[in-house]
Amino acid sequence: MSQPRISVYASLANGNAVPTRVIQGAKTLQARTSHYIAVDAVHDELAVPNPFAQAILFFRGGAKGNEAPIRIIQGPKTMLNATDNVAVDPVHREVFTASFPNDSILVFRGDASGDVEPIRILHGPNTKLDRPIRVEVDPVNNVMAVVTDHAILVFNRTDSGDAAPKWIISGSKTGVGTRFGTRDVKLFPEGKKLIAGASIGGRSVERTEEEGRRGGQRFIGVWKYGDNGDVAPWAILNVTPITKIPGTRLALNSEGGDLMVGGDGQVSVYHLPEIFQRRD
Amino acid sequence: MARRLDRSRIRWSVVAAVLLTAALWMQTRDWSGAAFAQQANKTSERRPLVLDRAPARNIADPNPVFRALVIDAEHGEVFMANDKESAGTSVLVYPTQFQPTNRIMEPLRRVAGPKTDLGMVCGLALSVEHRELYSVSGETGTLNVFPLDARGNVGPGRRLIGVMPRASAGVFLDVKNDELFITTEHVNRISVYPRTFKQDQEPLRYIQGPATGLADPHGIYVDSGTNEIFVSNHGNWHKTETGEGEVRGPDSLTRTSLGYTTPGRALPLAPSTGKFLPASITVHSRTASGDRAPVRTIQGPHTLLNLPDGLYRDPVSGEIIVANSGDDSVLFFDKDASGDTAPVRVLKGPATKFKGPAGVSIDAKRNELWVASWDSHMAGVFPRTANGNVAPLRVIRTAAENAPMASMGRIGAVAYDPKRKEILAPN
Repeated sequence: MSQPRISVYASLANGNAVPTRVIQGAKTLQARTSHYIAVDAVHDELAVPNPFAQAILFFRGGAKGNEAPIRIIQGPKTMLNATDNVAVDPVHREVFTASFPNDSILVFRGDASGDVEPIRILHGPNTKLDRPIRVEVDPVNNVMAVVTDHAILVFNRTDSGDAAPKWIISGSKTGVGTRFGTRDVKLFPEGKKLIAGASIGGRSVERTEEEGRRGGQRFIGVWKYGDNGDVAPWAILNVTPITKIPGTRLALNSEGGDLMVGGDGQVSVYHLPEIFQRRD
Repeated sequence: MARRLDRSRIRWSVVAAVLLTAALWMQTRDWSGAAFAQQANKTSERRPLVLDRAPARNIADPNPVFRALVIDAEHGEVFMANDKESAGTSVLVYPTQFQPTNRIMEPLRRVAGPKTDLGMVCGLALSVEHRELYSVSGETGTLNVFPLDARGNVGPGRRLIGVMPRASAGVFLDVKNDELFITTEHVNRISVYPRTFKQDQEPLRYIQGPATGLADPHGIYVDSGTNEIFVSNHGNWHKTETGEGEVRGPDSLTRTSLGYTTPGRALPLAPSTGKFLPASITVHSRTASGDRAPVRTIQGPHTLLNLPDGLYRDPVSGEIIVANSGDDSVLFFDKDASGDTAPVRVLKGPATKFKGPAGVSIDAKRNELWVASWDSHMAGVFPRTANGNVAPLRVIRTAAENAPMASMGRIGAVAYDPKRKEILAPN
């Protein structure tokens, strides 16, 4: 691409749409390889990582153009390293990032700025953190999910130190893990669901023709809270000539019943109200 | 009797319709048969509820873009790197001379398809003498070599996949010394390989380390006459170790730039080193190696550098030319510029039609400047000495002039803002 940017589209945008606004320019301090945006709807902020300058940038929710961040977490005390993901807990006002280079989860105060220490660090052999690339937080049910090399680990939200995960989703029936193409995990607190995808053939279970998916292809899976071990997804969106799943980057519009999937330079919006039912 | 039969049929039809509706409604709820089985909490026997359906909407730009360009002046062809995934990444080849038109122009040929392994093709170089085209991928870091007349879905003749770090951005062939120079954003590095590299080739040398001034490097140009390397830097900096990013399996120095699935060593939690530096052009000795400081640096507010990308050197004046993607301009610096120096001329303004210029080159044979303008799906041709708000002599377009700007590149994430009901996608 030409320069780092965040393109913003209306939720009903379709086709070769014109963005409603674009956040770009030198003042924004974005890097070209930006792998995440966390939206804090409560405080109306966006959190964006910059892996090369080892920083977390915070913008106004309605930022546009060449607009500078309103604050930045950066400096020696932060221990940030190749930070390419960020999650926000607006309820407890905390910011999380999975640190790929050193198998840890760093947690900062949500209003932190400058050179600040993490308030919690999850790190150690019992955590089973192995090359974690994404973390997502559910402030309602007090859990956090982490994508690692070959599993999605679910911890208590406030776990720190060398705490073990409470649930581990991993194995051939699950097909998830970075090595299988999982690049994101999303949580739906009201329905107690966990959503993730993969694309490189992690699932080795034979699929029926009815299920419409050959082993080794891209899919988005939905698991329930409490799923533990080698558990097939509760629901699945397979790649087919009809679904054309473009990637495994995810966003949820739970009110609208929409799942957004990003990848291959495009965003597809799937209307899947089944996922967003609020009862268990 | 007939009337009674009709009533009976109608009554049963109504009942059947109600039952059918109820069945359909039930199937749309999560207490369908599959869901009942799931709710029995026997996860080992779970059969997923299949949700396969077409997307309700899809946001995508189907038009190719121009990121890097390289010119074969001898044969009158320009090669352009299209790194837009939604349009299928490709190398597009056009003639350098054509009648001016504002219409979309079809390329003479294109290299595209799964066999090409182009990935996010970010940089191009070519050798007229050896009839070779070199492409680097910002995704995998691989360097692929194609015949200069390659066409269609063809595999590269040679690939460099050895220890090269991921996320390479620029490539330049030093014809005189028969060496390829490659920049890598993630680990602030310039790697040098022989043009005749083998698949697992070790670099001849590399420039990397805290003294180098490299900070998120992008474009690269090598002047074999003055023995200088010119590199554009966005300014995102963190301390790197010499050798960092080389893919050496468990023996890799760190995991950075190896790709998510390569083991590498886990680093201890340690003080962060990252900081933001002003954008720059660093000038290095062509033969430098390791953690060597640049011989000079163009950096500071007077330079107007703003997310600088592709670089070239004017073969006549020696001026350093840079595609300044952040402010839609092309800057020209004196051949000896150093420090906080203003450009000697600036090509900028609405007449230029620049939007996110990313690549520059000179056709020395025809005395013309070429600029690849990513956002506006366009490459423009100017007189070599153009200055100010000047219209291009002619343009190559992949989309109509009034088409939406190319805004999404590689999407690393997608987010939803429930307050504004908006979808956000970063490059």
